[in-house]
Formats: sequence, C-alpha cells, structure tokens
Amino acid sequence: MRRLLILLGIFAAFSRADATVDDAISRALEAIDPYVKQGYTVRGDQWGGDLAVKEQKAIPHTLFKGNDYWFCMGTDVDNARVAIHVYDSKGKLAESDSWQRGRFAAARVFAPATGTYYVIVEVTSSPRERTTWAMVYGFK
Amino acid sequence: MKQNWGLNLIIVANCAAFLHCFGEPAPSQIDLRKFPATQLDEVVVPLPSEVFNVLDKLGAPNWRGELRDPVVGTRGARAQIALLLGSIVAEGFVAVEAADKERVKEVGRGVLELARAIGVEKTVLTRTNLILSKANSGEWRAVRHELDGALTDVKNAMIELKDSQLAHLVSLGGWIRGTEVLTSVVGKSYSADGADLLNQPDLLKYFQQRIADMPPRMRNDQLVNKIEKGLDEIAPLINQKITPGSVKRINEITSEMVKAIDSRA
Repeated sequence: MRRLLILLGIFAAFSRADATVDDAISRALEAIDPYVKQGYTVRGDQWGGDLAVKEQKAIPHTLFKGNDYWFCMGTDVDNARVAIHVYDSKGKLAESDSWQRGRFAAARVFAPATGTYYVIVEVTSSPRERTTWAMVYGFK
Repeated sequence: MKQNWGLNLIIVANCAAFLHCFGEPAPSQIDLRKFPATQLDEVVVPLPSEVFNVLDKLGAPNWRGELRDPVVGTRGARAQIALLLGSIVAEGFVAVEAADKERVKEVGRGVLELARAIGVEKTVLTRTNLILSKANSGEWRAVRHELDGALTDVKNAMIELKDSQLAHLVSLGGWIRGTEVLTSVVGKSYSADGADLLNQPDLLKYFQQRIADMPPRMRNDQLVNKIEKGLDEIAPLINQKITPGSVKRINEITSEMVKAIDSRA
C-alpha cells in the first residue's frame, strides 16, 4: 500500500511537471477536430501560455466578413475550466455560438464586417496556480 | 409538495448541466479601454487563405487576368528576397484561383529557390514538393493549405534564426501583393462587401510599426524605405469609408510597391 502511494505521488509530481503548452495544443486541436470534419481549414499556428484563475488574455485578430470562424481553446490540466469569447472593436460580443466543456471551450464568429476582433481567453477555475492553455482556429 | 421538490431538483440539475456544458454567459458588451486582459500579440496576421476564401464567395473574377509572371531573383538584399518570398506565395494563391497548374508549379519552385537564398530551404522542401504534386492533380484546396504552411514555416524558421524582421517582411510582401490583387478585383466590379475586405487599419498599423522597429540599417534600405512610404500613403485611405476612388488609389500604390519589390532582383 505504501509503495502504491509513493508511486502515485511520483506520478502526480511527473504529471504536474509535464503540463506543457504542447499538451494544451493537443487539447485545443482535439476541440477543433469536429470542425475539421465539417470542412473548416485549421491554421497551423497556435497561441498559448499559462494563466492564473480569472486572468484573461486578449488576442486581436483581423477577421473577414464572409468567413465563418471557430476559435477553440484547451488545457491539459485535469479539472480546470476554460472559456473563450470574441468581441468586436467596439467591445460588443460578436460570437454567434459558443460552448464550454470543462477543459475545452469554443466560440464561433460569422464576421458581420471585416475588422479587428478580440479573442478573449480565460481560465475560469483550476486546481493549479497557473494553467497552461492553447488556442487554435479554423475558418471556412 | 413532494412533486414540487422533484421538479425543483430536475430544474436545478438541468441548470447545473447547462452551466457545465455551456459555461457562464459572456457579457454582451465590454469596455475595451478598461479591459483587464493583457494582449498576447499585437495583432494576428491573417493567412492569405482567409482573404481568398472570401474572394471565392464574391463571384468569379477573371483570375487569369490578375496573374503576373513570378519574379524569382535571388541577387537582391535579404530584405528584398523576404518581400519577394511573401509576394510569390500570394501569387500562388492567384494561380490557384486561376486553376493554372503550370503557374502554381512555377511558384512552388520559386518559393524553394527564394527560401534557399535566405537559408531556410530545408524548412519548405516538403511543402514545395507537395505544392507541385497537389497542383499536378488539381487539388486546389490542398495547394492553398501548403502555400499557407510554406509561409508559416518560413516565418517560423526565420524567427528561430533570430531574424524576425525578415519574417515580418515575408508577411508584408504577401500582404502587399494580396492587396494589389484584391483592389484590382474589387475595382473592376465595385461592391461594398468587396471593399469592406480592405478594412484592415490595425493590420496596416502593425506592419508600419514593424518597419519602425527595424534597425536603422534595414529601415534605411531603399526598398524598405519605399515600402514604408507606400504604407503611410495607404493608411489614411483605409481609415475611412472605402470608396471606389480609394480602392483605385490603393491599387496604384500597391502596384508601385510590387514593381519595386520585383525590380533589380
């Protein structure tokens, strides 16, 4: 029993140390996968880092009217919850759809006009002080 | 009473399930000036595919008429080669729209040659081979994907080589040629939706800032200087309602810039 606890402790320590943006990217790609099957082209670049709970980051992006975008966010941290939303340059919520499922979240935008939009990512809860996250997007 | 308890429990459970699936609703309006979020990037530079994807939906312009012979000179300064690289990738997108296999293959070979000239050939070798083979089989969507990928790979390789200024010039070269084509297409058949695609003031500001941040040696390069002046001329035109007149003027400015990028290469 004692050996099992030590092994679990070692495993927990490793999984904590192993939390990387690369793992978060894998989660973000997992979140966008259903949209790839729906014909969305996923950009090869990713955005990511780590955030404290309730800390937000804004990613400004030029979106084009006529395109349909899905922005997907993921974290590799178990029991963490993330959120992603998109606002236009006047601060108005621009997404037509969004969802949040634990460590995955996504927002869809049919850009009503070409211009700068702000993709806002947030860690809403997490067992960790800092939570690694990543964002990818697709369009069609 | 018991039934009400049961009903309440179901409602609470449904609300919890809703929040679990959809999260807390986002505020419908935020004050960007007071917004607490820090910015991750100054602005994300869109992929050429994002613009051409919209152009696909705007009708069927004469893409063959927009094609120009790709210039693949490798004798110029590194700044010029970087601008040419971006420009030729944009040319690849025009060739895809025109469904011109031979031109796409020429572009693929050109990308490889220019990448070689600035020391990032290995990075794009697989991409350029795929561009050639996908063009042969007419898989245009896949060609676009590889062109986007080649642009991204080249820029990332340059950043790894601590040459981020050149990476910005690759993006800028693509944007200039892309804007020349966009204004040409929109100018021939003006529509508000088409002109709206030029509403990119923050992106333009981003490119202006990247040039302003360059070391004096690079910024004072004759070509970079000319490009900087061109961007300064375009800025007021896209910071207001985009009229047929401004579309025409932006086309003239970007055409001059493309000529300058192609010259002496």
